[in-house]
Amino acid sequence: MRWRFIPILLAIAMLSVLFAGCVESEEGNYVYVAKLSPAGEMRAEMLSGDIDGFIAWEPYNAEVVVKGEGEYLIQSGEIWPDHPCCVLAVSDEVAKDEKLLTALLWAHVKATRFINDPANHEKVVQYAMEFTGKDKEVVEEALKHIKFVEYPDEKEFRKYYERLKESGFLQNSIKDLGYASEDGFFKDFLMRNAYDYVVEKLREDPSWIPDAPDREINMGHLTADLHELAWYVALKEGYFQQAGIKGNLEKQYANGPAVMEAFKSGELDVSYLGGAPATLKRINDDIRIHIVAGANNEGSAIVVKKGSEIKTIEDLKGRTIAIPGFGTVQDFILRMALEEHNLEVRLKD
Amino acid sequence: MKRERTGLVKIASIIFFLFLWHLIASLELFEIPTPLKTAETFFKLLTVGEPVLGRTLQRHVISSLGRVLKGSLIAFSIGIPLGIAMARSEKFEGFTSTLIELFRPIPPLAWIPLAYIFFRHLENTSVYAQIFIVFVGAFFPAVLNTISGVKSVDPILIDAARTFGATRFQILTKVILPASLPMIITGVRVGLGVGWMSIIAAEMIGGSASGIGFFIWTMYYIGGDTAKIISGMIAIGIVGYLMNEGLLWIERRRAY
Repeated sequence: MRWRFIPILLAIAMLSVLFAGCVESEEGNYVYVAKLSPAGEMRAEMLSGDIDGFIAWEPYNAEVVVKGEGEYLIQSGEIWPDHPCCVLAVSDEVAKDEKLLTALLWAHVKATRFINDPANHEKVVQYAMEFTGKDKEVVEEALKHIKFVEYPDEKEFRKYYERLKESGFLQNSIKDLGYASEDGFFKDFLMRNAYDYVVEKLREDPSWIPDAPDREINMGHLTADLHELAWYVALKEGYFQQAGIKGNLEKQYANGPAVMEAFKSGELDVSYLGGAPATLKRINDDIRIHIVAGANNEGSAIVVKKGSEIKTIEDLKGRTIAIPGFGTVQDFILRMALEEHNLEVRLKD
Repeated sequence: MKRERTGLVKIASIIFFLFLWHLIASLELFEIPTPLKTAETFFKLLTVGEPVLGRTLQRHVISSLGRVLKGSLIAFSIGIPLGIAMARSEKFEGFTSTLIELFRPIPPLAWIPLAYIFFRHLENTSVYAQIFIVFVGAFFPAVLNTISGVKSVDPILIDAARTFGATRFQILTKVILPASLPMIITGVRVGLGVGWMSIIAAEMIGGSASGIGFFIWTMYYIGGDTAKIISGMIAIGIVGYLMNEGLLWIERRRAY
């Protein structure tokens, strides 16, 4: 009856595994993260002392700094210079519709150039105030930290993929999606031809306006995300109208993964969203979208409460920082900053 | 002999279920991982944890369980005395029963938005809201079972105690409570079960940011690994089963 001990030993082994997983050592180099909405929650919980700081998109970082409630710990551009952030993505169907794609790219390029033209500064600030609902001082501060771009740098963009893969976020491989190589995947994922075509046409004739598309579209963006100002400018300056783009152009989402869910259900044809969730969900859920343009580089920041003892990234050890969601650009940037200082992310209860 | 046979039947049912699952997965009737793949993921989640949220499955379960226990404890400490009072006083029952019957059909989940509004000005809004939702879920089974437990106490026992000169307090503590305890425990068991179901759903909604429900939702959100979602569901099932069996065991022991 010796082998009667086997089940008992097995049970003991199982139980010790179970208990080992219950204990979280407090000694490691951990930074606690909490998921909060940038609009409202983050500021309120930082002021109440529930969290020590947060990482959000503009204008939420600038807002607490201008109001004297918070201070920048570090800008995302210092963590990863010129990192791509928000992009313009389209569904597989739209990607095949040359006319529609050209019209969209035209409106996006016109709007981005409008924003980057110093002569329009007053107007841009005005639009930024309307889009985000924040006052002049806040948006002027926020705009300083955002680089509005027309197309992301492919090499930099692929860092999202590399890092997501390394840190265990990716559940599928490129091969599972039916691509022979990573280069093949990115050629399809980062579609540049429509952008190049529009830029070329505009160079030949700055007053060129493309033909109106044949169908209506549903277009989305993140609520009051100043990175996506190009969308608001295109709407208000009448670029969508001039290009003949019609449909529901004003759909709003809370964060990038929510936009991807909407793409999956067919609720969206075109949307602005962060590059990290776009890559993550493109691969994990095989949601067939294509990135056809960039919106901005940089423009996120880690902010902490004014007068906080936290002066460096190392000081974040044992503190709580809020992110807008797991798998967002900000989650990604925070992890990147922490890893450089041998800190790890841990969920806050 | 008979006991062994029912044991065998139980094992057979589990094997049958796993076989069916494997069949569905390998025929790709639904996009689900096989039981073996799921078991592997489950074991990984127990030992090394999951990289995105940086924590093991047990830790997620513990944070949910903590809130369930807090919420139900409050529910029981209000619900059980209330039930006793209602069963003992016809006037009081008349006063409260309509209200209870009106509130009872509102599911705990329907309280979620209101709960967030209630606790908006507190620091940990979502934690308080979730405890409140568990409270709503656990409260009604506790009250109703206590009422029927107290009412089913044989009146002869109470009369006898009274004849021997027992005070009202003595009748309550020495006669009524011991006699109705099995039903009260049933109320606790059912209440905890409902509370456990409510917390999972509450964690999937709104500002929540921890617990096993949040884990499942985040895994869905990030996408791509159904085995992790199923592992979370298995953990919920096991914990619910153990809670129920544990209290059933106490019930059975109290019955003698």
